[in-house]
Amino acid sequence: MRPPRGRGGGGFRGRSDGPGGRGRGGRSFGDAGRGRGRGDRGGRGPGRGRGVGRGRGGMKGGSKVMVEPHRHQGVFIAKGKEDALVTKNMVPGEAVYGEKRVSVQNEDGTKIEYRVWNPFRSKLAAAILGGVDNVWIVPGARVLYLGAASGTTVSHVSDIVGPTGVVYAVEFSHRSGRDLVNMAKKRTNIIPIIEDARHPAKYRMLVGMVDVIFSDVAQPDQARILALNASYFLKNGGHFVISIKANCIDSTVPAEAVFAQEVKKLQQDQFKPSEQVTLEPFERDHACVVGGYRVPKKQKAAA
Amino acid sequence: MLESKPKIGLTWEPKLPIFTSSETKSTGSQKSEKVPANTIWKTETELVDGLFVPPNDPKKLNKLSRKQLKDTAGKNWFDMPAPTITPEIKKDFQILKLRSVMDPKRHYKKADMKSKELPKYFQASLRNVGTVIESASDFFSGRLTKKERKATLAEEILSDRTLGDYRKRKVREIEKQKNVVGVEKWKIKGKQSWKRAKHRRDG
Repeated sequence: MRPPRGRGGGGFRGRSDGPGGRGRGGRSFGDAGRGRGRGDRGGRGPGRGRGVGRGRGGMKGGSKVMVEPHRHQGVFIAKGKEDALVTKNMVPGEAVYGEKRVSVQNEDGTKIEYRVWNPFRSKLAAAILGGVDNVWIVPGARVLYLGAASGTTVSHVSDIVGPTGVVYAVEFSHRSGRDLVNMAKKRTNIIPIIEDARHPAKYRMLVGMVDVIFSDVAQPDQARILALNASYFLKNGGHFVISIKANCIDSTVPAEAVFAQEVKKLQQDQFKPSEQVTLEPFERDHACVVGGYRVPKKQKAAA
Repeated sequence: MLESKPKIGLTWEPKLPIFTSSETKSTGSQKSEKVPANTIWKTETELVDGLFVPPNDPKKLNKLSRKQLKDTAGKNWFDMPAPTITPEIKKDFQILKLRSVMDPKRHYKKADMKSKELPKYFQASLRNVGTVIESASDFFSGRLTKKERKATLAEEILSDRTLGDYRKRKVREIEKQKNVVGVEKWKIKGKQSWKRAKHRRDG
């Protein structure tokens, strides 16, 4: 039943971190330190080194690929000359942010589409390629997504959970929230919420109980924000996925120390972190922590 | 319950010649024809008119219908099918497994190099595998030219002219190693080869 294990995917070549690019200060909350569109990729232009084939997403338009299931549920790999992570497109025929798509034509003329998921633009994809054991975001899950930005990753999460799942995407910035809302118009399983994730009471009427919280809010108090939202919406025994950017919390101490400190904070708030991966080739000084919330105590066998 | 399940095989209806001319009678005869075959009890092996009649036992019917369901990767992968592996697709997969030797400058994750079995579930039809669609804003470096586009994955991976020379050279090297001609074939090379050890053991 399960496809063979193995990480696959890795067609994306590294990016030289040129001047500018990342880590501009003074961004609005929830923007996750991310630029919009291509500006994000920092250091384009001359001096990008090996000049050949550094297009986005690796694969070239028109090339042939085989789409196979990935180890993670709802995620697929497109294997060809290069590999790429893909998700099944809920809205065939449309790309959300100019990403490449893979289309397969069936015998009866219908087309099935997959969208290429770039780990350099999405921390969740980076975590999956980094080998995280379980992301808990599966088909049919209800997900609360904090720090949705303009909805690039959210669109892939909505692909994964499929028509039976729901994604509540919270974003504070109006500018990127506009893109998010436009995207959500076409994807019926996304509920965009333009609010401050620090005040979950403001959107408590919109959000039901959720199975997973994904938090990508690059803020110093992100552990507190996560705990607050979890206390409102996360079911007992639910799970959380949080991406931690060391620079955003404390840039004076080494990244590992920051991660450890954040994990300790999480543990105090009834979270039970189970694993941590660095997003190293894709993001600098980032870590992704996955775990459970209010995990029920194990019953002693045959007391 | 039973009606909602897909019907197995052929449903057989007796071919009764309609003799009557009046319409009221003909509708009556149609009604009698529409009695489903499995309401009438029959022995298991009975073939009516050489046609298969679905078994009466719901247990066996379930088993049959389960057999007929298409094999998929399950709803966790959105029912990804297990298509028939055509010779072209088989070749594609083999080339995919061996792609790491195609280009000395390109490196791949190991994945499952060792197993020779092909993946069961994948998205392809008899003629088509996946094709990458570039977005409208992609520069020409992000798309293949018309000449570079090929019908199958294997063709595409093998199409690079510059790599052809490398491949040929490698094949020659291996052939030279394997197919030695003349006396060289029998000579024992090296001091501590396996052959030498065998030689020593056997005396």
